[in-house]
Amino acid sequence: MIFRPLHFTRRALEAMARGPYVAFVGAATIFVAVLATGLFAATLGGAERLLASWAGEVRISVYLAPGADLERARAAATRVAEGRSVEAVPSEVALSRLAESLGDGARVLDGVGPGALPDAVEIAAPGISLEGARALAARLREVPGAEDVDYGTAWLEPLERFVRRARTAAAFLFAALALATAVLVSNTLRLAVFARREEIEIMKLVGATDAFVAAPFLIEGVIQGAVGAGAAVLALLGLHAILLPRLGAAFALAGRLTLADTVPPALAAALLAGGAAVGLLGSALSVARALRRT
Amino acid sequence: MIELFHVTKEYPGDGPALQDVTLTIEKGEFVFLTGPSGAGKSTLLKLIFCDEPATSGQLLLFGKNVAKIRPSAVPYVRRNIGVVFQDFKLLPQRTVAENVALPLEVRGIADREIRKRVKALLRSVGLEHRAEKFPPSLSGGEQQRVAVVRALAADPALLLADEPTGNLDSERTLEVMDLLYGANARGTTVVVATHDRSLLERYKKRVVALERGRLVSDGDSVRRTASAP
Repeated sequence: MIFRPLHFTRRALEAMARGPYVAFVGAATIFVAVLATGLFAATLGGAERLLASWAGEVRISVYLAPGADLERARAAATRVAEGRSVEAVPSEVALSRLAESLGDGARVLDGVGPGALPDAVEIAAPGISLEGARALAARLREVPGAEDVDYGTAWLEPLERFVRRARTAAAFLFAALALATAVLVSNTLRLAVFARREEIEIMKLVGATDAFVAAPFLIEGVIQGAVGAGAAVLALLGLHAILLPRLGAAFALAGRLTLADTVPPALAAALLAGGAAVGLLGSALSVARALRRT
Repeated sequence: MIELFHVTKEYPGDGPALQDVTLTIEKGEFVFLTGPSGAGKSTLLKLIFCDEPATSGQLLLFGKNVAKIRPSAVPYVRRNIGVVFQDFKLLPQRTVAENVALPLEVRGIADREIRKRVKALLRSVGLEHRAEKFPPSLSGGEQQRVAVVRALAADPALLLADEPTGNLDSERTLEVMDLLYGANARGTTVVVATHDRSLLERYKKRVVALERGRLVSDGDSVRRTASAP
């Protein structure tokens, strides 16, 4: 077959103009699937970004045993956590910080002696992953005089587990949605193919190859997929613009999310390409079936 | 050009549509296939057109055994064959010019060349002024002329016509037959399936008669009509 993209595209557009309902249903099917996938991906992206920003506030505290040498411990911690900010926090400083953080409630500390809290070494670890924090904490346990190490992110573990599981689920969900959509689109396009079975028959009578007959249908599928996916991406951008300010008002951290976190250009491009690919797959399935029968 | 050796075609659950037909059609011939309805005329054309395979026997087309032609090669064989049907088989949603252009399009001919050739073809049958009309707005005779022009658009070596005048009055019938006759005069082999005896009498050509799937006579139309009851 001689490849004539403009010719086939014109034929595809003409066919869609003649049967706008079928074209609309095909594009709408892909719109719903891409929107569902995009929503999931955007939520996952947002959750990962929040996880990263929360984890970025991590401070690891090495609590020392009574009588341990604070300066020696700080020096050791500096070597272990190379490049990170390490601070020696004597017992009395820890107590005053606690009092400060309690504000009016600091009264409860009345009578608490300066040795009530242990000396500690605090390591600021901005941007560290949970896994990294865990590993660093394990190494800090070897600091001379260290009695306990707290990396204060135990509460993040369930969220990280959720994101990890969601990532795996997303892979399955994307695959299942793509397949289901391809089948739906294929069935929708079957209507278009059925409506044009006479055209297919006549084209074959005049010597058209299967590729020549199929090309406009495949282009039609790609156009429907791209239009449906394009509309879904626009809808995602709209949802981001509408929902994020409301979420930000409810949860301060959500206010930090940007469009690059929820619908990054790579996701938008992947959704567009995926929609077009699903349209192509759906039309290929239906036209292959029709060609076998003519 | 066309050689059939003991060709039989059977459809499941039905009697044989063609039985043991042996026939040769030479290049440049004009042949009428005749016989009553159900005689096997259309089936024979379908076999020649590679639309269906023979159940047994051998069919050679342009010197090639049709049974051995790969399905993917069938379109290329068909490009040497023009086909005309009783029901025209025009695409109603495409203009007359687009219908005639179809065989040229599938051959990958450039749009500009197609436009030029289609214009000339439509002018040759007096339908130039109908180029941008849609087939349903044309009369039966005009539609069949468009169908014949489409079949001849790519200068096929062989033209098959299945009851091409079945839906036409006598005047339109002659118009269409003249087109087929003209194509044959220019060297195209023409096979016309018809049960219209007046055509056999008017055009003194070879007549192959079928009855219940069997070839019952093969000769010129003068002898055939003379022996007819």
